[in-house]
Amino acid sequence: MASEDELSLLVIVVDVNPIWWGQQAQREPEFTLSKCLDAVMVMGNSHMAMSRANKLAVIASHCQDSHFLYPSKTWRGGDIGGDDASSSGDGKYELLSVANNHIAEEIRNVMSKTEVRGNSTDTLLAGSLAKALCYIHRVLKELEAGQEVKSRILVIKAADDCALQYMNFMNVIFAAQKQNILIDACVLDTDSGLLQQACDITGGLYLKIPQKAALAQYLLWVFLPDSEQRSQLVLPPPAHVDYRAACFCHRNLIEIGYVCSVCLSIFCNFSPICTTCETAFKIQLPQMVKPKKKKLKQSM
Amino acid sequence: MDEEPERAKRWEGGYERTWEVLKEDESGSLKATVEDILYQSKRKRVIESHGQVRLGMMRHLYVVIDCSRSMDDQDLKPNRLTSTLKLMETFVDEYFDQNPISQVGIITTKNKRAEKLTDLAGNPKKHIAALKKTVNTTCVGEPSLYNSLNLAIQTLKHMPGHTSREILIILSSLTTCDPANIYELIKTLKSLKVRVSVIGLSAEVRVCTTLTRETGGSYHVILDESHFKELLMLHVKPPPASSSSECSLIRMGFPQHTVTSLNDQDAKPSFSMSHLDSSSGPGLSLGGYFCPQCHAKYTELPVECKVCGLTLVSAPHLARSFHHLFPLQAFIESPVEELQGNGFCQACEGDLKDKSIFTCPSCRSVFCVECDLFIHDSLHCCPCCIHSQTAP
Amino acid sequence: MKLRVQLQCKNLHEYLRELSPDILDRLYNHPATCLAVYRELPSLAKNYMMRMLFLDQPLPQAAVALWVKKESQKDHDECVSVLAGLRLWHSQQLQGGLQGYILNPVFKDNLRTALLGGGRVWADEGSSLGPDRHARDIESLDRYAMERWEVILQFMVGSPSAVSQDLAQLLVQAGLMKSEAGEAPYITSAGFQFLLLDTASQLWYFTLQYLKTAQSRGMDLVEILSFLFQLSFSTLGRDYSVEGMSESLLTFLQHLREFGLVFQRKRKSRRYYPTRLAITLAAGVTTSSSSLSPSSSSTTSSLASTPGTGDTGFIVVETNYRIYAYTNSELQIALVALFSEMLYRFPNVVVAQLTRESVQQAIANGIAAQQIIHFLRTRAHPIMLKQTPVLPPTITDQIRLWELERDRLRFTEGVLYNQFLSQADFEVLRDRAQGLGCLVWQDVAHRVMVVTPQGHSEVKRFWKRQRSHV
Repeated sequence: MASEDELSLLVIVVDVNPIWWGQQAQREPEFTLSKCLDAVMVMGNSHMAMSRANKLAVIASHCQDSHFLYPSKTWRGGDIGGDDASSSGDGKYELLSVANNHIAEEIRNVMSKTEVRGNSTDTLLAGSLAKALCYIHRVLKELEAGQEVKSRILVIKAADDCALQYMNFMNVIFAAQKQNILIDACVLDTDSGLLQQACDITGGLYLKIPQKAALAQYLLWVFLPDSEQRSQLVLPPPAHVDYRAACFCHRNLIEIGYVCSVCLSIFCNFSPICTTCETAFKIQLPQMVKPKKKKLKQSM
Repeated sequence: MDEEPERAKRWEGGYERTWEVLKEDESGSLKATVEDILYQSKRKRVIESHGQVRLGMMRHLYVVIDCSRSMDDQDLKPNRLTSTLKLMETFVDEYFDQNPISQVGIITTKNKRAEKLTDLAGNPKKHIAALKKTVNTTCVGEPSLYNSLNLAIQTLKHMPGHTSREILIILSSLTTCDPANIYELIKTLKSLKVRVSVIGLSAEVRVCTTLTRETGGSYHVILDESHFKELLMLHVKPPPASSSSECSLIRMGFPQHTVTSLNDQDAKPSFSMSHLDSSSGPGLSLGGYFCPQCHAKYTELPVECKVCGLTLVSAPHLARSFHHLFPLQAFIESPVEELQGNGFCQACEGDLKDKSIFTCPSCRSVFCVECDLFIHDSLHCCPCCIHSQTAP
Repeated sequence: MKLRVQLQCKNLHEYLRELSPDILDRLYNHPATCLAVYRELPSLAKNYMMRMLFLDQPLPQAAVALWVKKESQKDHDECVSVLAGLRLWHSQQLQGGLQGYILNPVFKDNLRTALLGGGRVWADEGSSLGPDRHARDIESLDRYAMERWEVILQFMVGSPSAVSQDLAQLLVQAGLMKSEAGEAPYITSAGFQFLLLDTASQLWYFTLQYLKTAQSRGMDLVEILSFLFQLSFSTLGRDYSVEGMSESLLTFLQHLREFGLVFQRKRKSRRYYPTRLAITLAAGVTTSSSSLSPSSSSTTSSLASTPGTGDTGFIVVETNYRIYAYTNSELQIALVALFSEMLYRFPNVVVAQLTRESVQQAIANGIAAQQIIHFLRTRAHPIMLKQTPVLPPTITDQIRLWELERDRLRFTEGVLYNQFLSQADFEVLRDRAQGLGCLVWQDVAHRVMVVTPQGHSEVKRFWKRQRSHV
């Protein structure tokens, strides 16, 4: 197999928004954050067990910050020569048990230390994705000559989209697309328009799971295969993606709108002055008239 | 012809000791200084691009490729034509990546004639296919600057005023065969506000200097292949819009993508309008984008509706250009010794082991060199600023 | 009659398939083996395993067949046969009369244990012995491992080095060396080929040979295989205790110590450190089988991904047939000298020239052109690795051409039939041989024909029958 020499890096971004998970624990006590993290660890372990060349990183996306759960800062490269590495004392593969202990410890730190301000249930996924991309970029730079790495990002999303993040999110998606990084999304609760676009543009899979309790099985069935194996397997069809734009003035989704030629702001109605860049529009384009008919030499 | 260009020629300047920049380190190696120079030039590109200017986001660009005898020269490997066409392919890709709602057309000139290779269009695949086919053409005769410019004007002059009109000429020959006075044409170009830039493959030519100076374009002569690529890539970024260009609100459609599967009962395959003019491939398909105004179907965006003339784009196309409009501030460089606290890059969690660190001016996060370049080159947003709820 | 014996190197998968079902079932009793076997599966089969790992009921075969797209049906069939061949799953009748698959329960339990924990500890950790006063860091372990391994290789090249009787015997048994009564063993053509492999493949080949003879030494194959896999999944730079190991395992440990796979300070020391060689053992097997076949020359060096195995790239090959080897290892220089002519020798670099004579000489020694190219490729300097192809095509082509020069004659074993009494006799027999597909050559004018040895008995019987009829 030619792919054996190629590193395969999986970055899992887990939404750990405490407010959402708190509400979730009240709604469905049988599916809590710790259950979700167990599923993530099963997924991570399965990925690392598949091949020696498979690498893993886990990022927790909190409401104000993102934390690397694994690998930790103190580990250099791939070798774990640390003294703190202690195996769980049972039949688990040592590397995996070290990783799992580490993830559990870090998440405990994150949840106890970070204070929650406000009560918004939005999670700032764009930031975590940006960090994931930076991390992948670093791994790419640290490679030795002749080595290749194939990376993908798996987002496990719980809370709602944050509309304010649209632009940053888009920037992140395009950066990922440019680097040939797949973004997969596994959505626990409400559909996310932003992630649908991310998966569609980067060629990843988007799945809103019907049964939260079976998260681990969904992850193993759908998201474990890498892109090469995906071409062979039958997987859920691509989601329907809404590519309509939201106008800047009322945030309505529109099918036909007006775009400012200077700043590309989108409006649902014609207005003589652009509210974003304050440009005054000189001529009103008659609707339905081809631009060709317009006079060319305008006043200077 | 009239006044002398202000720019002094290299050979008129003082004696430069270019080699004195290089210094040996203790072990007698030049590696450190060479790396330093490379790094400086990388940084320069990042810093240069940040100025708040109005950019022409909707561009109409004609690229004129010289296919005259001189393109057979083998100073670029394997020859000038092949090398140019290969670079053009990456250029077209980059161009549409950075300017998703712009258009490009390609003109070739040889044997004193100019020919349109592709019309102005927004689909990179078509251009690249045409470029790939051109590799086998024979390079004969002389190019004609006048004819190619004239051909480009014919289309460009009909483009709406809020878009930029540009011509980029890749000229290999030192001569041109023109049927009329080219200086008259330059005047027309100037009045039509067409910006002409030239990349010379052999040497500086007087007529090009005048042409570019009059129309506000740039003129460069390549040093080698990597320099050639660099020069081409300069034209990928949208140019600053001239203050006199018009502004307008453009009506655009945002069609929804309809996906239907074969086992869907009421799914009917239909023809895509974009296949009307091209005979290649079967146009029959199930899903697609439907024009919100006239319900003509297209398989790809962006496109101008062939039926009602509405520009059809998808929201991500517009979003792709946003980073030009809201560029990320340059990070502040400082020596690593000034850093307090832990020495980790906030983005990639790597060690800060290089000799300088970079601080985001708004959130005071520190980054390493690699991340700084990556953030400015492709990410276009600070990974730490996004975490604050009040992000723009 | 064949001129060269190609060194055959099986991968783990092929090796396991040859084991008896009984041994296989016993092997799966250890999580480490299960994990190692799992990693060796084709990627599609890995996904099948993962999908079924947490299911307790059998799955209908029809449902499993629907997992793949129609185009990949071939891959699916291959996966099914591999999984059945390794006894990882078997068919079971479902309630409705349908055929279903269910995973081997022992394998399933142990793979689950390896992934998620539970069960018994694999190996006693050194921590039970308290901290080691002579703890080793990774670098010194790497150095130690490389030293030990080079001693073996040097012994093979003939330089005087202390090697135990056991090891020397093993080398002879593996066919890498030959020894005539009373004389010091000397290297065979297979040995030359062995030298040019990369370390991971050498190690794996050697281990396979060791395993072959293991049973004759009175060792339990399952026990040592499990230990070997357990070793390959351990953490570099940590110490493990020998507590609870059986007598035969302790002997095995001493052998591993001699190969450089584990570090033990003293023979009687209660703790050992696995080295990088042991840990890359399982990783090396995947490429080892392919490293010899010409088609897979594109597989990038597995060594590049295992830094610290000592022989990261040091060779620069120029289009003018010059080789610059930046090394001061006697062994490496000796290896380069196997197929090139030494020009200059400096403290840290040697310059050699590839010539027709030197390459022909190497080929006469039984080394294949592909092996020379593979050697140069896997040990290419990092600067060389940046260019594609890594080696200048002129050089690789020329080496192959030099090999082909020797291949103008091909030898085929055969049996000669001549002195036919009549043309009719000749034709009858010839047609029969042709019909059997065993005719190698014929000359009608002289009534001479050659058949393959396999076909000889059949043709002879036919001829006898023919004669008795007349």
